[in-house]
Amino acid sequence: MLKKSLLLGLLAGLASFIYQKVYIGALEADFSKVFTPIAVFMSSVVGCLLASLGYWLLDKWMKGKADLAFNLIFAILSFVTILGPFAAKLPVSVESPELFPGLTVPMHFFPVLGWLTLKPAIIKK
Amino acid sequence: MKKFFFSMATLLLLVAVFAFTAVQAWQIIDKYSINFTSDDASGIFKTFTGNIVFDEKNLGASVFDVTIDAASINTGNGLQNKHAKSDEWFDVAKYPAIKFVSSKIIQAGAGYQAIGSLQLHGVSKELTIPFSLQKSGTGLTFTGSFSVNRNDYHIGKPGGDVGEVIKIDLSVPVVKK
Repeated sequence: MLKKSLLLGLLAGLASFIYQKVYIGALEADFSKVFTPIAVFMSSVVGCLLASLGYWLLDKWMKGKADLAFNLIFAILSFVTILGPFAAKLPVSVESPELFPGLTVPMHFFPVLGWLTLKPAIIKK
Repeated sequence: MKKFFFSMATLLLLVAVFAFTAVQAWQIIDKYSINFTSDDASGIFKTFTGNIVFDEKNLGASVFDVTIDAASINTGNGLQNKHAKSDEWFDVAKYPAIKFVSSKIIQAGAGYQAIGSLQLHGVSKELTIPFSLQKSGTGLTFTGSFSVNRNDYHIGKPGGDVGEVIKIDLSVPVVKK
């Protein structure tokens, strides 16, 4: 399960990386110095690994009936984390900080999106 | 003919006297920094323009006339920037410029003081900016630090999370015009 969560994390990271490239190309708002491609991948991988740990613990506690509860918790937590980009204080040398949430908020949903979309196919009980 | 030579000589003398007494004008270069800090908010102003005429041997004729674009504020956070530009704080739509014009520049110990009028948020008040001077090649860098009480300029509501005393640190490199 760990390897499959890692794969989900990498796929979410890839989606975030592609989105970052599109965003920078479209709006010319470059945050790559404060939010590097490695950080983009790592945050998605760590997110998915934590999700799989949470799922494993919840599944043990709920004895194989954790899917619905976990999906709900994962989605709610993803929503809660979007407060982070809005509160983030970037270095003052970075131009247009008001565009930073537009870049990072969608990325907060890529792990849960990857999990809900691909988990039934690649993580089997 | 004599008249012509006399006129030319007078003109040359006047030009020479003017050149001798003219105070050096300086051009602000891009590496300036205008930083502000308070208890809860800090940031920079990105756009700073103005005329600087300064000669340490002729302070009486020296003058600073500088303007900060209030809308160029950057706190590092988009929401804070929007809030700072709103009518509750700097109200940049109504008061787009922060302006300082010196009326007198004096020597103060090893440094100097620029005494003048700061126009901020539609309020003009006399302000003294202590500054020092660093020479580098043909250029100069003015550095100074001073504080303003935002309540004096009706910026924001008294109290609250943001400190009432805002410290401003300036570093303005200039080159000869």
